[in-house]
Amino acid sequence: MEVGRAEAAEGVTRVLVVDDSPVDRRVAQLLLSSSSCAGSFHVIAVDSAKKAMEFLGLNLMDGKGQAVDMVLTDYSMPDMTGYELLKAIKAMNLLKPIPVVVMSSENEPQRISRCLNAGAEDFIVKPLQSKDVQRIRSCSTARPNKGSAPCEAATKRTPPPPSGHHAAGGAASASGRRGHFAGVAMILHSSSAELSQYFPLLVKLVLLAYAVLCLGEILHRWSSGGGGGRSLSL
Amino acid sequence: MAAAALREQLNALLASMFASGLVDEQFQQLQMLQDDGSTPGFVAEVVTLFCDDADRIISELAALLEQPVVDFDKVDAYVHQLKGSSASIGAQKVKFTCMQFRQLCQDKNRDGCIMALAVVRNEFYDLRNKFQTMLQLEQQIQAQQ
Repeated sequence: MEVGRAEAAEGVTRVLVVDDSPVDRRVAQLLLSSSSCAGSFHVIAVDSAKKAMEFLGLNLMDGKGQAVDMVLTDYSMPDMTGYELLKAIKAMNLLKPIPVVVMSSENEPQRISRCLNAGAEDFIVKPLQSKDVQRIRSCSTARPNKGSAPCEAATKRTPPPPSGHHAAGGAASASGRRGHFAGVAMILHSSSAELSQYFPLLVKLVLLAYAVLCLGEILHRWSSGGGGGRSLSL
Repeated sequence: MAAAALREQLNALLASMFASGLVDEQFQQLQMLQDDGSTPGFVAEVVTLFCDDADRIISELAALLEQPVVDFDKVDAYVHQLKGSSASIGAQKVKFTCMQFRQLCQDKNRDGCIMALAVVRNEFYDLRNKFQTMLQLEQQIQAQQ
């Protein structure tokens, strides 16, 4: 499947915004365009998942579509949902994966983990705010402008949190842990193109997971090894 | 009228809109983005879009609730849309009324829905009036500069 991939202009991130609400489309477009961060967004907005598929060339066998650096889609839309669009995009672009960020007005842990497990790079709870722009930018595949000044809005570089940062506080830590590992798996899966970028994060996550497992093991043995010897053989 | 006096009027209007809970922090953020300078006319544009959208949705809701048998799923879908767009621009009062409206839809409470629609309509008209005044003041201030 040929998807025309002309070299993006330095620092320009092409985003396809998919939302059935005209107000939300415009707010997303304006938030992304008015970002004071270095590097600009070029936004194309469509009002349905079907139009997004057409734009990306996903509904044709010869798939001649437009190249984008990422897709920002609403979850609940009539006819075809953002979740279905997410799955379609991930299924059809195995060679050159397009990052997909899902947004929703509902802060529902199940919805969030479903999207992350399907391969979404991030999940943002609406309403969209300027602080979300940096998160969105960091999900794209566009090469950042080499000589660009650091972003004013972000005080530190925040890599996309695998377990969905906005997840409701009441979400069980178990599902958070699952989301965490799903996130690691997802990162491994999508790392083919951007391995060098994700490598430090990957190493940190692996070390963290290992540390947690070791700690759990130690505590378990500590509490149940009172009678027997104190030998720790991990 | 001098620009300074107009500006004072505008600030007073905005302050009262916040104080009465008509708009919230989201609206403030959008205003701040506009004041940053990179996208002038931002707020006017989304406000106008919102008013047109809300007008359309309220008409659809009225038509749906007049039916002998009310399709509550359709009503709920429209209210959900209105809730979403009001949240996106920071129209707090309208948003909260929509949340209650949705509950009434889910309870399939026809009379409750009709009342909720009346409340939403009034709140929207009130908000729209204030937005129109705000935009007029902004235009007048622009004209002075």
